Amino acid sequence: MIPNPLLLTIIIPLLSGILIFCVPKKLEGARSGLLVLANLAGLILAIILFKQSFTYTLPGIAPGLELSFRLYQFSAFMLLATSLFGVLIALYSVVFMQGKKLVSQFYAYFLFSIALTNGAFLADNLLVLLFFWEGLLVLLFGMIAIGNKDAFKTATKAFIIVGVTDLCMMLGIALTGHLAGTLVISKISLTLSPLANLAFILLMIGAISKAGAMPFHSWIPDAAIDSPLPFMSLIPAALEKLLGIYFLARISLDLFRLTVNSGLSTLLMIVGGATIILAVMMALIQKDYKRLLSYHAISQAGYMILGIGTAVPIGIIGGLFHMINHALYKSCLFLTSGAVEKQAGTTNLEKLGGLARKMPITFICFVVTACAISGVWPFNGFFSKELVYDGALERGWIFYFVAVAGSFFTAASFLKLGHAAFIGKISSENGKVKEAHISMLIPMIAIALICTFFGVFNQWPLNNLIQPILGAERLEGHNFSGFPTNTMLVIITFVVLILAILNHLYGLKKKGSGLHALDHIRYFPVVSNIYDLAEKGFFDPYNWGLGLVNVISRISFGVDKGINWVYDSLSPKLAYGFSSGIRKLHTGNYSVYLAWAIVGMLVIFGLLLR
Amino acid sequence: MNYNNLVLGIIFIPVIGALCLPLAGRVSSRLRNILSFLFILSSFILSLKLIPLVLTGKTILISQPFALGLNFTLLADNLAVFMTCVSSLISAVIVLFSFGYVSHYDNQNEYYCMVTLFLGAMMGLVFSANLILMYVFWEITAITSWRLIGFFRDKAYVLKADKAFLVTVFGSLIMLIGFISIFQQTGSFDLPLIKEAYKAQLIPNLIVGLILVGILSKSATLPFQTWLPDAGVAPSPVTALLHAAVLVKIGVYVFARIFIVNITPDILWHTIVPLIAGISAIVAAGAALIETDLKRIIAYSTISQIGFIFFGLSIGNSIAILGALLYILMHGLAKAGLFLCAGIIEQNTKTKDITKLGGLISTMPFTGVAFLACALSVMGIPPFGGFFSKYLVFSGALAEGRLWIVLIYLICAFMTIIYLFRVFNLIFLGKINIEAKEGSSIMVGSVVGLAVLSLAAGILIYYPYKFAQVATWQMLGALK
Repeated sequence: MIPNPLLLTIIIPLLSGILIFCVPKKLEGARSGLLVLANLAGLILAIILFKQSFTYTLPGIAPGLELSFRLYQFSAFMLLATSLFGVLIALYSVVFMQGKKLVSQFYAYFLFSIALTNGAFLADNLLVLLFFWEGLLVLLFGMIAIGNKDAFKTATKAFIIVGVTDLCMMLGIALTGHLAGTLVISKISLTLSPLANLAFILLMIGAISKAGAMPFHSWIPDAAIDSPLPFMSLIPAALEKLLGIYFLARISLDLFRLTVNSGLSTLLMIVGGATIILAVMMALIQKDYKRLLSYHAISQAGYMILGIGTAVPIGIIGGLFHMINHALYKSCLFLTSGAVEKQAGTTNLEKLGGLARKMPITFICFVVTACAISGVWPFNGFFSKELVYDGALERGWIFYFVAVAGSFFTAASFLKLGHAAFIGKISSENGKVKEAHISMLIPMIAIALICTFFGVFNQWPLNNLIQPILGAERLEGHNFSGFPTNTMLVIITFVVLILAILNHLYGLKKKGSGLHALDHIRYFPVVSNIYDLAEKGFFDPYNWGLGLVNVISRISFGVDKGINWVYDSLSPKLAYGFSSGIRKLHTGNYSVYLAWAIVGMLVIFGLLLR
Repeated sequence: MNYNNLVLGIIFIPVIGALCLPLAGRVSSRLRNILSFLFILSSFILSLKLIPLVLTGKTILISQPFALGLNFTLLADNLAVFMTCVSSLISAVIVLFSFGYVSHYDNQNEYYCMVTLFLGAMMGLVFSANLILMYVFWEITAITSWRLIGFFRDKAYVLKADKAFLVTVFGSLIMLIGFISIFQQTGSFDLPLIKEAYKAQLIPNLIVGLILVGILSKSATLPFQTWLPDAGVAPSPVTALLHAAVLVKIGVYVFARIFIVNITPDILWHTIVPLIAGISAIVAAGAALIETDLKRIIAYSTISQIGFIFFGLSIGNSIAILGALLYILMHGLAKAGLFLCAGIIEQNTKTKDITKLGGLISTMPFTGVAFLACALSVMGIPPFGGFFSKYLVFSGALAEGRLWIVLIYLICAFMTIIYLFRVFNLIFLGKINIEAKEGSSIMVGSVVGLAVLSLAAGILIYYPYKFAQVATWQMLGALK
């Protein structure tokens, strides 16, 4: 009996993952083969399933809680994207992880993550979704922890942040289930009310935390340093963005219908806008390839949240298009950083330089994807950003301004990164660097090509993948594919990009090195003080949270000790005091005892005769 | 088969068997150990045999009239059988672990006798449908746990045992006054009769309060919680048995038995109990974050989690009660696992101070993974069982609209994640400070077994869920 194809998308990676644990350590080829093949099988399955739609309910997982799955436009697209990243990054990992410790654990967690992600996309029941969603937490911890020596601290940080937000989401799901009277996602459609708003916010916390937006972001830059690189490319850059934005879209489009004038829409836009600008400001000053990228992974999530938060069709389409575009170029960017790390032995920008000549293919992939993330025409990032800008402008110029400012800094920091790593003098240590292994290049080239394709022929993804998600009715007859219609916005974008280049040239002239081309912003008065604090972790919400918990704990500990004092000191003291007082009365003097007896008798008589 | 004999067997095989164990110990220590395990296992197996019957909604009532209302009345319904299954299963694993753990110490005869007697008394308490009978079994558990906590005969340890005994007995005496007051009002100690009597009138709040003192002191809830961390001086299997799996659940169980199944207290208590339990949960979670003694931390964690169970029960709708019952199961499995892991760590490194430990995952991989799995279950992370119980408790509370109280517990759940990770990191990750070997195979086997059970309870949630659901319906009188 062959299980339902929807179950297969979960079972195949799950079983392959378990199998990888069983393969002996010596057979490295077998493990790698299994990883790639399992992902390939998933991709084939996803291609077959694409454009289909049906539901499947597994009976009797728990009475009243059925395990129901639904394949339709959106989830099929997500499935396809997940398996595509799975295959490409698996191919990459096979070479990258060679000779590293705990490889089979990494491969197994890789596959488990794919399985759970597929499960979360397909789930048609909120509790089932949460089950898969939260299950990823354990894998997140595992995958970060097998990085370098201190990685477990980052892993713990990630686990705590995401775990806390997942608990909020759990509460949100319970509340939604209570309000809607069902947990079946396709049957829920709630109108906004105070309680429903709360439910939305709780679910939103889960979603944006998965997407890595502020204020739940701070583990990502740490993980960029500590975890194995394919993890960064797979999880924070691709799968978590897809998951988080998918769920955000589901809650704001299906579960609750977010309207233009609602406070929730404004809240989402504020979160998105703040994430864009604050994270990109941090990205500017990074001196490590991977860490710089990780701040962009946070910042770009802001565009998606802003887009969906606008609640107007053009913004939502832009946000969703940006989700897939971002997953593409950001995972490719991480892959280039991995290639550099593998070949040059470091990602510290101060030690890199001039790699363009040594690693030309990597460099070209970098340029394509860096242009895509900066929103340069004709790459995919340009088109999705223009849509988001348009939506943001419709809701208020301030949101538009923040989004465009974000683009300026994005372009500026990628100019700095590209200049510092690939152009300029070759540092003495990098003299013998060679181009990366072919199996690492293929995924990068593939993604770079897709980025270009999604840009030049943006009609295809928009018409086939993105716009059907919203459906004809809610698109109100619009079609957002093709070159942006709002020429003014396009001109502004170009001007901003040119300004970014001028800014880079100015910095270059002043400092004479690509790495320090942004130092005039870094050491600008006042800004520099804020940066100093930020680098000390002063603005890390995680530290604030832990501080708060620490205060609660100290108070609690005091209360506990106080109560304990009552038992350990006070009550024995009272008992001793009482008995020693009584003992003093027992002097052995008969006349005193006689007096007591008489008094006692009188009292008894008094009571009886009353 | 005669079901009455099954119920009697569940109680009296361990009770009478316990008294024979010291004699068996004179013959051979191995025989004694195996007998002890078999007695407890037989309770578990007989409990399992009762499941098909109770699932159909039938109950077994054994009644033997006695003078002064002190009838010998036993009642086996879904709730009782659920409870006996859970506690005897966990106790059986713990006894298995003890084979390895206590083998180096004196007074083993007494140890096995007390553990088995304790389990028997617990079984008796669960089936009791007469308040005085319940009280008698209640005190037997107090006496046995007093001996067990003071198993290492140091002066300081014995004092802690005295403290545990005094606090819980103080509580139970106050509870006894409550029981007698009920007798004054209704003329019976038998719960079925009391139930009928209180259909016509509301139970006075004073009596509820008196009984609650007993319940809270046994289940180590604020302000009677401090004996529990102190009792961490006991051998680890004992702490697992007392703190995690069985003893502290007595209070919870009696709460369910009296205040949900039989008497409906004033609506006021639906707010007071969650509040007390919530404060208790927060205070304990905070203390767990500061404390550095491994067993004390896990004990505080127990206090905190017991808060969740009380929360679920006192909310009183079917979802929350279902969640609380599952919580009893999931917490019991996971927390027993944590305590037993602590036992292995303590025995092999000779310290309980987590700040002195580190990096043990490389030398104790099985214990480490088992510890993490159990910790994840306590945190409520899928695919472990704790996920479902936590979700259901929250869900039930929200269905009643208890938003503010839910927030207290939400903070508590956050803190659970933080303090358990702190413990895990300090013990198992980072630099190795104290070299240590993995524990003996039977000990490691037990903790891995508990971890696997925690996982299985999550993946195969169907079975415990269904059982607990029928039990909930029966408790609320919705089952015909």
